[in-house]
Amino acid sequence: MSDVTLATLPIEAALQQAQVNGQHRPTSLISMRDIWKTYQMGTEEVHALHGVSFDVNKGEYIAIIGPSGSGKSTLMNLIGCLDTPSKGDYWLNGKNVSEMDDDELARIRNQEVGFVFQTFNLLARATALHNVELPLIYGGIGSTQRHEMATQALKAVDLSDRVTHRPNELSGGQRQRVAIARALVNHPSILLADEPTGALDTHTSKEIMDLFERLHSEGNTIIVVTHEHDIAARAHRILSIRDGLIEKDEKIK
Amino acid sequence: MKLLRSDIYENLRMALSTLLANKLRSFLTVFGVVIGVITVMLIASIISGIDVSVKKEVESFGTRSIFISKFSPGIHVGRRSREERMRKELSYDDAIALSNLPAVELSVPFLDITNNFFGQKLLVSGGGKTTAGVALQGTLPEFERAGTQVVSEGRFFTQSEEDTKQDVCVIGSKVADDFFKFGSPVGQTIKIGSDEFRVVGTLQKREQFLISGGSDDQNNVIYLPFSVAKKLKPNADDIYILAVGRSGQMDEAKDQVRDLLRVRRQVSFAAPDNFGMETAESILDNFRSITAGLAIAMVVISSVGLMVGGIGVMNIMLVSVTERTREIGVRKAIGAKRSDIMWQFLIEAATLTGIGGVVGLSIGWLSTFLLRLLLPSYVPLWAPIGGFVASVGIGLIFGLWPAWKAARLDPIESLRYE
Ligand SMILES: Nc1ncnc2c1ncn2[C@@H]1O[C@H](COP(=O)(O)OP(=O)(O)OP(=O)(O)O)[C@@H](O)[C@H]1O
Ligand SMILES: [Mg+2]
Repeated sequence: MSDVTLATLPIEAALQQAQVNGQHRPTSLISMRDIWKTYQMGTEEVHALHGVSFDVNKGEYIAIIGPSGSGKSTLMNLIGCLDTPSKGDYWLNGKNVSEMDDDELARIRNQEVGFVFQTFNLLARATALHNVELPLIYGGIGSTQRHEMATQALKAVDLSDRVTHRPNELSGGQRQRVAIARALVNHPSILLADEPTGALDTHTSKEIMDLFERLHSEGNTIIVVTHEHDIAARAHRILSIRDGLIEKDEKIK
Repeated sequence: MKLLRSDIYENLRMALSTLLANKLRSFLTVFGVVIGVITVMLIASIISGIDVSVKKEVESFGTRSIFISKFSPGIHVGRRSREERMRKELSYDDAIALSNLPAVELSVPFLDITNNFFGQKLLVSGGGKTTAGVALQGTLPEFERAGTQVVSEGRFFTQSEEDTKQDVCVIGSKVADDFFKFGSPVGQTIKIGSDEFRVVGTLQKREQFLISGGSDDQNNVIYLPFSVAKKLKPNADDIYILAVGRSGQMDEAKDQVRDLLRVRRQVSFAAPDNFGMETAESILDNFRSITAGLAIAMVVISSVGLMVGGIGVMNIMLVSVTERTREIGVRKAIGAKRSDIMWQFLIEAATLTGIGGVVGLSIGWLSTFLLRLLLPSYVPLWAPIGGFVASVGIGLIFGLWPAWKAARLDPIESLRYE
C-alpha cells in the first residue's frame, strides 16, 4: 500500500508544481517547493535542507521522523514561519510566505500557526491563563473576549482547575498542555509540535498524544516531529527525513 | 491600538517586578531622575516665589514711577568708582524742572534726613517711646498724587504747610503702631530731635516681602514737608526724585527725564548718564536676570540628573534584554511583531524612570513646604507635569536602543539562547 502511495507521489507533485509555475495558487494547506536552508559556517556552507518539496492537506495528521541532525526542526521552523528558507517557495493557505515581510510573518505565526515546543517555552512569571492569552493580545483581541477564549482553550486541554498556576507550579505534562492551549487559542490552520513529548515520561507522553489524536479528530491539521516510533505510528502519514531530504513519504492510515 | 496590543498592564507589572528583583540597580538607575525632578520642583517654586515678590514690588513701586538717584539702581558691591563718588547731588530744582516736562505728570524730591550732621540716626519719640532708625523724608504734598502711599487716616500735609514750614508730619503704619498702639495718632505729637511735630495723617500699610525687608522697612517712615526737613538739617543734600509719567507715555517720560537731566547735569554727548533711573520695568529686568539664572541652573542640574538616569536605564534595559532573550523568542514565535516587542521594552523603561519621577515629585513637593518657611512660594502646575513628562520621556528615549535591539532579535536564535 505504501508503495502505491510512493509511486503516485511524483505525479501529484509534478501536477502541483505545474500549477505553481503557472501562477495558480496551490489548493493544499501547505505547499513547499524545492526548499533549501543553508547555514554559513565560516567558509563552509551547511545545507540543513536541500530541495524539500511536499504538500499537506487540511485535516492531515503527519509525523516527521529522521535521525538527529537530519533537518526536522529546521523544516518545522520553516513551516511555522519562525525562519525563512534560503531558497524555494512556500505557500501557506494559498499565500506565498517566502515573499512576506517581518510583520506579515508575525501575523502568520499569530493567526495561522500554533507551535508547541519540546521545552514548553512558557513565560515563567505569567499564569497559565496569561500564557494562553498572549497570542490573543498580539492578535489585538479585547480583554473580555480574550479572557473567555483563553479559559475555553484551557478547558479544552483539561486544565480548567489550573488557570491561575504559574509554570513552576505545574507538572511537565500540564505545562505542555498549557503550551498546546496557547497554540490552539487563535484557532490556527495547523498545529506544529517539535518533539512535544521529548521532555516527558512515557505515561505523560501518552496523555499528550491522546490529546493530539482528539484534536485531530476535531478537525485540526497536525504535524509532529518525533523520535519515537509508537508516536509516529499514531499519525496518518509519515515523512522520513535524512540529510536534509525527504527520503520517504508514506500514508499509513 | 498599538498600545492595547502590547499589553500595558503586563508591561507595567513586568517593569515593577524587574525593578523589585534588582533593587540596588534600580535605585541607582532612578536616583538621577529623582534628583532631576526634585530640582525642577524646588527651583520652579523658588522662581514662583520671586515672581510673587516682584509683582508686589512693582505694585507698590507704581507702574508709572521713575525713581531717580545719584547712583545706578540695583545691588551694589564694594567701593563705588571715583566718578561715582564725585557725582553731584540731585537738587530740588531738578525735581521742579522735571515736573514741567510734557510727559511727566508730577515730580517730587525727597530729602533724606534720617541721619544727622554727624551721621547718627535722629531720635524719634512719641507716645512715651523713643527710637532711632525711623526713616525721615522731606517731600512735597504732590507726592500723595503718585499713589504709591495712601493716607489711611487724617490727610497729607498741604502746600501752604510746606510754604509756611509748619512742623507737621505723616507717619507710616509701623511708626503709628510703635508709638500709638492705643487710639488715633492723628493730632498727637512726635518729637524728632528736639523739635515737636503734629501728626496730620497716617499711611496705609504697604506689603512687606523678603527682598525689601529688614532695616528699610517701608512702613517705618515719617514724611515731613520738604522745607521743614531742609530747616531741620540745613546742610542735607541727599536728594532723590520720584517722577511719575503720564499714562501711556512712559517711554516718552523716561526719554524726556533722561535728556533733561543730562543737560542739567552737564553730561557730554557720548558720556554715560551720571545718575540712575529705576522704573517698574527695570526692576522687572533685574528680577528677570535672577530668574533666568535660576532657570538655567534648574535646566542644567535636572538635565544632568535625567541624563544619569537615562544612561542607567539604558544599561538596566540592555541587561534585561539579554536576560530575557528566550522570552522575546517565545513572544515572537506566538506572533509578536517587532513593534510589539519595541513597545514592551519602551514601556518598561518609561515605567522605571516614571517611578523615579513620581518619587522625585513626592520628595520635591514635601521640600517645597520647607521652602515656604523662607519664601512665599507655590508650585506652579508646569513643574510636576514637566518633571513627570521629562522623566517618562527620558525612559522612552534611552530605552529606544535596548528596545530596538530586542525587537530585532531573530525568533529562532532567541529561542535557542541559553
Ligand atoms: N543556526 C545554525 N547554524 C548552523 N547550522 C545549523 C543551525 N541550525 C541547524 N543547523 C544544522 O542543520 C542541521 C539540521 O538541524 P536540525 O536542528 O534541523 O536537526 P534535527 O533533525 O531537528 O535534529 P534533532 O533530532 O537532534 O533535533 C544540523 O546539522 C545542524 O547542525
Ligand atoms: Mg530538532
